[in-house]
Amino acid sequence: MKRSYLKKAIIALCIPLLFMIVSSCEPLATGFDDVEDAIMYEKTEKAKTPDPDSTIRVMTWNIRFGIGRQPWFGDACGDNTVFKKEEVMPGLEAVVARIKEVKPDILFLQECDVKSNRTAYIDELQYILDNTYFNYAAYVSEWKSEFIPSDGLGRMDMGLVILSPWPITDAKRINLATREDQAGIVNYFYLHSCIVSGRIKIPGFKEIPLLNIHASAFATDDTKKKHFEEFKAEMDKLQAAGEYFIAGGDLNELPPGSDSTDFCYEDMCPGESFHQSGDDPQHKDGSNYTPEAEWLRPIYETYKCAFPLSDYQQNQQAYFTHTTRPEHAWDRTLDYLFTNHRWRAGSAKTHQEFFNESDHAAVSAEFVLIKE
Amino acid sequence: MTIKYTIPTNNDLLPMYQMNFTGLYKRFNTTTMIRNLSIGILLFCFFNTGFAQDSVLLKKWSFNTAYLMPAGKWESGIFQPFRYGITNKMEIRANALLFPLLPNVGLKFSRGKINEYTLASEHILSYPTLFLNIVSREDIGGLISPEFDFPFIFSISNSLLISREITPSILATGQAAFVFALRGEKPDPQATIDLPLFYPRMAHYYEGTSVRLGAAVKGRLSAKWLYEEGVQVFIITRPENNFFFENTGTLMWAVGKSLRIRGGYVLAYGKYPYVTPKWQLWPTLDFVFGSK
Repeated sequence: MKRSYLKKAIIALCIPLLFMIVSSCEPLATGFDDVEDAIMYEKTEKAKTPDPDSTIRVMTWNIRFGIGRQPWFGDACGDNTVFKKEEVMPGLEAVVARIKEVKPDILFLQECDVKSNRTAYIDELQYILDNTYFNYAAYVSEWKSEFIPSDGLGRMDMGLVILSPWPITDAKRINLATREDQAGIVNYFYLHSCIVSGRIKIPGFKEIPLLNIHASAFATDDTKKKHFEEFKAEMDKLQAAGEYFIAGGDLNELPPGSDSTDFCYEDMCPGESFHQSGDDPQHKDGSNYTPEAEWLRPIYETYKCAFPLSDYQQNQQAYFTHTTRPEHAWDRTLDYLFTNHRWRAGSAKTHQEFFNESDHAAVSAEFVLIKE
Repeated sequence: MTIKYTIPTNNDLLPMYQMNFTGLYKRFNTTTMIRNLSIGILLFCFFNTGFAQDSVLLKKWSFNTAYLMPAGKWESGIFQPFRYGITNKMEIRANALLFPLLPNVGLKFSRGKINEYTLASEHILSYPTLFLNIVSREDIGGLISPEFDFPFIFSISNSLLISREITPSILATGQAAFVFALRGEKPDPQATIDLPLFYPRMAHYYEGTSVRLGAAVKGRLSAKWLYEEGVQVFIITRPENNFFFENTGTLMWAVGKSLRIRGGYVLAYGKYPYVTPKWQLWPTLDFVFGSK
């Protein structure tokens, strides 16, 4: 009798424990499936949706997690890892102001933080959604960790976003190739590049698939090339299906034919040395694009960039979208918009006036809609 | 107003308690899961068929009860503190693994018996500043950003333990502790280690004091197997991120006369700076050895 009670008691204990084990186990760093659902945001009180007649403005912008041009240890020779709320909010407000100034219909964001320790646990996407006219957002994490035990980074959730006044359907996170030039433990806690995809349907026009990418910035092997191949493969799939898409983001790569391809000196921090005999590494990670000069050509040859390559090569400086240091001018192009349909001629803009809001300038262009 | 909805994840569980210190208002929102767990634990303990006498239970495992190490005897785990019975009424303890980084020492005093209840008090002093400044660094191992420096902080814990034999092989213990810090100045609120187990135990370094209430049941399954099931609540006297709950379950195997192996789980719940109340489950393992 006592044994059967004991058995029942053990079962009574184990079932809720099992449930909790399944429910509560969360690894320190999040891994990702090849394809998984995006996290969806939606406003309860919707803003009026635009009623375009023939084109929509699309913008892509790496917003550097809202810290503006403040030095950060990871990319601008800074000492700071974390920022207080009062240090982040002005940057975020400035980003929102610029978005409202340009008023894109579709917005691709990269490096948007959602409750990360480094940005005082602000849900930046929630803030942008609450303070702009967008009604929907699709978010995917590219860097997500419960706790990164390095440099005081702590909790991290940074990702890509598609924002739209129209519903976004079928939003997915598409994982890109993992870096192979990092130690396993570093790779475990570091970011995993990806694409966020989705679809929008504007009344009266054909559905538009969207692809927003943030390719690797600091890979020293051919990971970035794989990212471009995977990005192109996604575009090729849509092309093969007879669909007209908008694709873009921060590719962290120069257009083919760029005059300057090595920025080690421009990006060098005090105490660093590159290009000299005995220097190891010879080049700063993420600053030497020379071996990668042709990596974007297959995409350029197949699809239409918002600013054609010929335009870029005639006046490269006008299309620069990035610089690592706030005391330098824009010095390279890393941000793009592509389509397999049409951009309205002359509509592409590189928003170099967004100098204080991020270390990337936004790129926007008008996409010509296709009637149903 | 913007709402967010997510593809359901495993962490979307309801909060159990909420505390608002401004109004000392407490609202319960118990889930069926928690109720089932409590019932399960009680059933398990009540219907346990242990065979041995309490003295054997206490010889193997008096840690976390109102009983002290006998005079001249010692025990220590890798994670469990080193304990030494100075006299039958006084025990000294220190966490040996942490000591080089986080100097700590404690004294436990027997407070006698009232009816069937055995009482003890425990007083622990620690100096976490050294540890905090060491882990506030660049590169791997930087649990806290290197831009933060920590002033001197002394952490003082005073607790009262009360144990009672439920059956000859089951011992229940209740504990109430008051933990506070003496500090040069308040550390930056962003200089925290926002992880379960760490965060509630370090909260009082930054702001407020910590009131801890716990209950545990120890028992014997057989001559060499013992178990413990416990709950602990952390209440921090500050307006935000002020409530944490832990449930621990442990099995101990008395391998030999002096070596014991303990393993189990800690299920932690709390409201961390990133707002969403969170459950987290961690495994535990320790090797305890001591006087025969």
